[in-house]
Amino acid sequence: MMKKIMHLLFLSCLKASELIEKDLHLKLRLREKLQLKLHKAMCSTCNRYGKHSILIEKGIHDLQKKEAISVDFKKLEKRIILNLNKG
Amino acid sequence: MEKTNLEELVYLYTKDLYKWAFHKTSRAEVAEDLVQETFLAAAEKLSSFKEKSSAKTWLFSILNHKIIDFYRKKVNQTISLDNSGLSAYFDDNMDWKMNKRPQNWEENKKHLLDNQDFQEILKQCLEHLPDKWHTCVRLKYLSTKNGKEICQEIGISTTNFWQIIHRAKLKLRDCIETNWLKN
Repeated sequence: MMKKIMHLLFLSCLKASELIEKDLHLKLRLREKLQLKLHKAMCSTCNRYGKHSILIEKGIHDLQKKEAISVDFKKLEKRIILNLNKG
Repeated sequence: MEKTNLEELVYLYTKDLYKWAFHKTSRAEVAEDLVQETFLAAAEKLSSFKEKSSAKTWLFSILNHKIIDFYRKKVNQTISLDNSGLSAYFDDNMDWKMNKRPQNWEENKKHLLDNQDFQEILKQCLEHLPDKWHTCVRLKYLSTKNGKEICQEIGISTTNFWQIIHRAKLKLRDCIETNWLKN
């Protein structure tokens, strides 16, 4: 019972981690913002989840920038022209 | 415009179009196909091309539609959200399961992202995500648009979008943690 009330006020870990993602991609409602803040203040696990999540976001972003373009453009151009002439 | 002119455009713009397509999809073979489809579509629409706009702008607008189609198809193919995935991480009280609680990665050290091993693990784990999740996680970075606009573009609800991201992150995080802490 106590747990239920706690969840209602301060969110469950499931809901909190969901809102952490929502916060990164969309906008939180004011109530969600407050609840999440309170939850994170009390729950070190979700706090850590949030840190990991931001780290992963940044990691993907870096990865994306690093991926080099390695393609033979001459070959690609030839293939496209070949297909154009087929049509 | 004549077909021979279109060939000229192939030589002029393939590189730029490819770079854009690659930037948006991060997959070489997909980018190549999209560029090719762009020119094939251009060949069909030659008559509708108005010399008023530049050929480059015209080709890029065709390519952008192809890119959106690519993502729309992908997301539509596979959207289904059930809760079974979540029970791997959370118990009946919706608290973290003991063995799935996020562990210490020493994430406070600034250089974790510069670590080659960590980068490699992240890359591998990303590749192992189911297609739709992979798509949604990437979309965020591939677009200058915000979450809401992306959803409108690929035709899913915003709730669906961040819930997919949430599930993807749980899996991704778990995969990284297992491999990283093993080292």
